[in-house]
Amino acid sequence: MSDVGTGPKGDGEAALEPGDGGPGELVGELLAGYLEAKLGADGPVVIDDLERIAVGWSHETWLFTARWSDAGGRHAEGFCLRRDPGNALLREMSDLGVQFRVLQCLARTDVPAPEAYWYEPDPAVLGAPAVIMEWVAGECPSPWRRAGREYYRAAAERGELPVSFTDSLAAIHNVDWRDVGLDFLGVPRDGTAFALREIAKWRTLIEHSGHPGHPILADLVGWLETNVPVTDRFTLVHGAYRTGNLLIANDRISAVLDWELQVIGDPMYDVAYVLSELNRDGTELLSNVVPRAVFIDRYQEQTGIEVDEDRCRYYQLLYAMRSAAFWMSAAGLYADGSNPDLRLARTEWSVTVALERAAQELGY
Amino acid sequence: MHTAELLARLAAALRTEIGPAVEGEYPRTQAFMAGVILERVSRELALDAQHAAAAAADGTALRADLDPVLAAGPPPVRVALDRWAEAACAIHALTPLIEALYAWGPDEPAAVDALALIRPVLRRDIDRRMEIAQ
Repeated sequence: MSDVGTGPKGDGEAALEPGDGGPGELVGELLAGYLEAKLGADGPVVIDDLERIAVGWSHETWLFTARWSDAGGRHAEGFCLRRDPGNALLREMSDLGVQFRVLQCLARTDVPAPEAYWYEPDPAVLGAPAVIMEWVAGECPSPWRRAGREYYRAAAERGELPVSFTDSLAAIHNVDWRDVGLDFLGVPRDGTAFALREIAKWRTLIEHSGHPGHPILADLVGWLETNVPVTDRFTLVHGAYRTGNLLIANDRISAVLDWELQVIGDPMYDVAYVLSELNRDGTELLSNVVPRAVFIDRYQEQTGIEVDEDRCRYYQLLYAMRSAAFWMSAAGLYADGSNPDLRLARTEWSVTVALERAAQELGY
Repeated sequence: MHTAELLARLAAALRTEIGPAVEGEYPRTQAFMAGVILERVSRELALDAQHAAAAAADGTALRADLDPVLAAGPPPVRVALDRWAEAACAIHALTPLIEALYAWGPDEPAAVDALALIRPVLRRDIDRRMEIAQ
């Protein structure tokens, strides 16, 4: 997953500028041609300020300003481009066409999310399957960096961001997903189907990774399949709700990003992720930003859903499996030669860390 | 010079001398990552013999512990145990046996006992791996 979606680049992220003769120049040319027709311009569209942000693990993200004129006059508007390079993490389960549909559905809800304008599946047009969406103002400091953690700690002390963080998750869980058409994501057939489907999803990713695995993983999967919880209420679930995937403006969530893992499922899946130690480093603040009591009280008040600690504990173990699957998949991308990024090679040892966490979660 | 030490020195050079001198975010990150990877490989090489001996001892002892517990187990469990023994009781080869134990029944007393014997061995195995990964 990327650390930054739409919005200004995060601290320390690299940018590829147009005019460097590299990918930036090519993307700018492709965008200019594509948008001329889409925007109904009466002349060439000029692409300015093009930069690639979040040189991350999944889709490429580019920000730019388009300038054009038409019968209504001259225009300048910011956009965000996401492209699927085809060799990134979660490539099998992160389809830009699905993301586009989800964002279109969310435009009819209270969930802060970028508006999606166009989906282009033909890789010949923009160099890869791509979505062009609204440029949303805000910043997205990385919680894995000291500056980011200090940013969130300061925001937590001011008090507004913890509330907005909680309310945005509540907005996701309060979406009438059938009404806005999100049931295309697949609705679990009964109370245990959601967890079993998630286990199957991550098992598939592990199998496709080509990684030899480890017996701790077998123990973890056996435990998960034996202790499947029953879910009595399904909601839209983001799947990776944490700081780093949220755009912030004036201490409020301006956009929830990274719509790559969303499902219709148990809202406790998201709650468990927020409660997890995975997403905070050396702080008691959940996701680096919200006190536990504030989160639980506010979440329950805003959704009418009671936080079920037992189901959350189950999902903590499921996240241990998911983490192992992520890193196995990432290491596999390097091992099979499909992606030469050495950060992927390093994740071989991240698999070990994920398995160690799994052993801890299992009580040994 | 031992290979592990050579790799450790290469790793240090990549991280402290070569990486910082590289222009461009992406290639600089790659240089640092190469250093991190070489450091891990160096550690793995240095610890390999010690870890292999510890794992072999754990595997042999576990086999002796599991045999009586699973003597009356169903055929799939016995087959999985035999095949694990054929794989030199390697810790990483325990997956089919664990799967067979869960398939037998996680509440089956002998399966519970067997898993209780296996888990400390897995703990020691992951601790050894963590010596390299961290």
